[in-house]
Amino acid sequence: MHSLGIAFDLLTGSPIVFYSIVGLIWGIIGGSLPGISASITMALLLPFTYGMAPVQAIVMLACTYIGAEYGGSIPAILIRTPGTNSAAATVIDGYEMKRQGRAGEALGISLWSGVIGSLFGLLMLIMMTEPLSWVALAFKPTSYFALGILGLSVIASMTNGSLLKGLAAAVVGLMISTVGTDPISGVTRFTFGSPELLGGVEPVLIMIGVFAVSELMVQSGSRDLGGVNEQVRVRLPSLDMMNRLKRSQFIGCLLGTFEGLTPGGGGSIAAFLSYNEAKRWSQEPAKFGKGSEEGVAAPETANNTVASTALIPLLSFGIPSSNSTAVLLGGLLIHGLLPGPRLFEQNADVVVGLYLGSFIATLAQIIVGILLLPVCVWLVNRPRAYLAGFILALILSGIFTLNTSFFDLGIALAMGLVGYLMRRAGYPFLPLILGVVLGHMVESSYRRSLLLSGGDHMIFLEDPIAVGLLLASTLFVTLSLFREFRDARQARLKDAHA
Amino acid sequence: MRDQSAPKDLAGGITVLAIAALYYWATAGIAESTLSDEVGAGGLPRILAITLAGLGLVLTLRAIRAGALVPAGKPEAEPTDDDEPRATLPRALGFLAFGAAYVALVPVIGYLPGVALLIGAVALYEGAPPNWRTVAIAIGGAVLYWAIFVRLLGVRQPTGWFF
Repeated sequence: MHSLGIAFDLLTGSPIVFYSIVGLIWGIIGGSLPGISASITMALLLPFTYGMAPVQAIVMLACTYIGAEYGGSIPAILIRTPGTNSAAATVIDGYEMKRQGRAGEALGISLWSGVIGSLFGLLMLIMMTEPLSWVALAFKPTSYFALGILGLSVIASMTNGSLLKGLAAAVVGLMISTVGTDPISGVTRFTFGSPELLGGVEPVLIMIGVFAVSELMVQSGSRDLGGVNEQVRVRLPSLDMMNRLKRSQFIGCLLGTFEGLTPGGGGSIAAFLSYNEAKRWSQEPAKFGKGSEEGVAAPETANNTVASTALIPLLSFGIPSSNSTAVLLGGLLIHGLLPGPRLFEQNADVVVGLYLGSFIATLAQIIVGILLLPVCVWLVNRPRAYLAGFILALILSGIFTLNTSFFDLGIALAMGLVGYLMRRAGYPFLPLILGVVLGHMVESSYRRSLLLSGGDHMIFLEDPIAVGLLLASTLFVTLSLFREFRDARQARLKDAHA
Repeated sequence: MRDQSAPKDLAGGITVLAIAALYYWATAGIAESTLSDEVGAGGLPRILAITLAGLGLVLTLRAIRAGALVPAGKPEAEPTDDDEPRATLPRALGFLAFGAAYVALVPVIGYLPGVALLIGAVALYEGAPPNWRTVAIAIGGAVLYWAIFVRLLGVRQPTGWFF
């Protein structure tokens, strides 16, 4: 009842509907631009949320995430290029439907499935987040330290490529988080006499640099992807079609929930898994790859479910499971909001606002999605050369609004170069971002634990939660190492036979 | 047989080692405080530096074992990894230089001309034709951003000598 009261107050006394719709529109537009993923779309918005009330900022970011998941399917269907990574599976049947002159139908199925996925994901989010967050009440500083280590090691081991590279990226992230004033003694570290570094490096600068600036650098010199020369209108599925899509949407909901809860899972894996399972359980499996409606519905339901369920580990424990949720965590921290049970007690308006805003955005998605399609098609048709200039100007304008500091612009550009070099060398981003975001928690919990024990590291083995979490970290790292050794051995054997 | 990514991994491993060494060297500049705890302000940074050095060492040795130092016999195929940047390093650095030039110039020329120059220069660099349309788009874009940020949202943007 208390939550309903807060929801009513928010609906009547705050512009939450406005912020939900603006976030949704921004998300659909950003997601529809090839190369601009959901996390980049959110990172571009992050600087502008500084001056907002916390509830408005978080609602806007969460609704951007929801919008971007649908937006990503627009170029996937129209020009065979996914706007976001998680829309990659939609290309298979979505583009095939477009070739058959059924682009409007494919977009309608994507939109409808997105709404189903978002509603299911939201239900899971509401049901699971608060009970899980109460587990965190039993946490001591030792447990928080172990939780930070678990988050870093799981993300490092789950990211594509080498575990060692993921771990190295995470350690570099932790190193960046140590810049500034020491949280315990107040001593300055790694500031090199620069007053701008006294408060540390803001995670938002790292996120914008690594995600957005490096993406523009990577795409520099790319050719245009080809345009859409026909008039396209969204055609929502008929009742009969909705009935036929139920099975694949159910699969998408289940796998989207599972992947959203899994650190490192994310929308892309959920979408491809759902596509495969929908094909396996379909009455028309032969139609997959040749313009199957279910082939569009399953991945789009899954990636939209993930947009909500990925918030469960974030809000419960403060552990983001994907790039987009890492950006959302950045948004929470900017406003001084710490995930966990205290968030539900002390900032219930933010949590209820997040649920309410997501619900509004999900329902509004049908109308906004239909109305916004011509804008998205127009944007998809713009020459990339002009878009690159506009996006770089937006990034630099946005960063300047944070602290009106040229130093911040320099840091974001430098992090863009770091992001580009990391891509070249095959190092994943997410562990670095997580290291920066979780660094403060890891260090302060570690040092507080040792303050309590008088410097005795055995304190970490006296807390059963910490022991469990550290064992889980060890297990993830060991299994990942084992997998890498096995793959390398198999590759060597294959080479020897060839 | 040489792994195609081995030279790249070797460069990455050496870079990681260099970062660890530089960071460890910088920890020497952390002052001790009477308010300090058991670990001290430099405690965790030193642990991180040593951990990173260990990871860098393993990455370097692994790259050497994969044949990073073995001369390539014949020209290798282009990498096909999706994550591999499409733009070459000079091309990407060129792009970044426009951002750096904006940071250097905007305190002098102001926000509106700065953004117009940035949009126009980046568009030309990315292959837009050098014609009046590009100029009009650059100026139009700058006016649009100025109207949104400065006039509509009222957020501060850099002011120069003239604007």
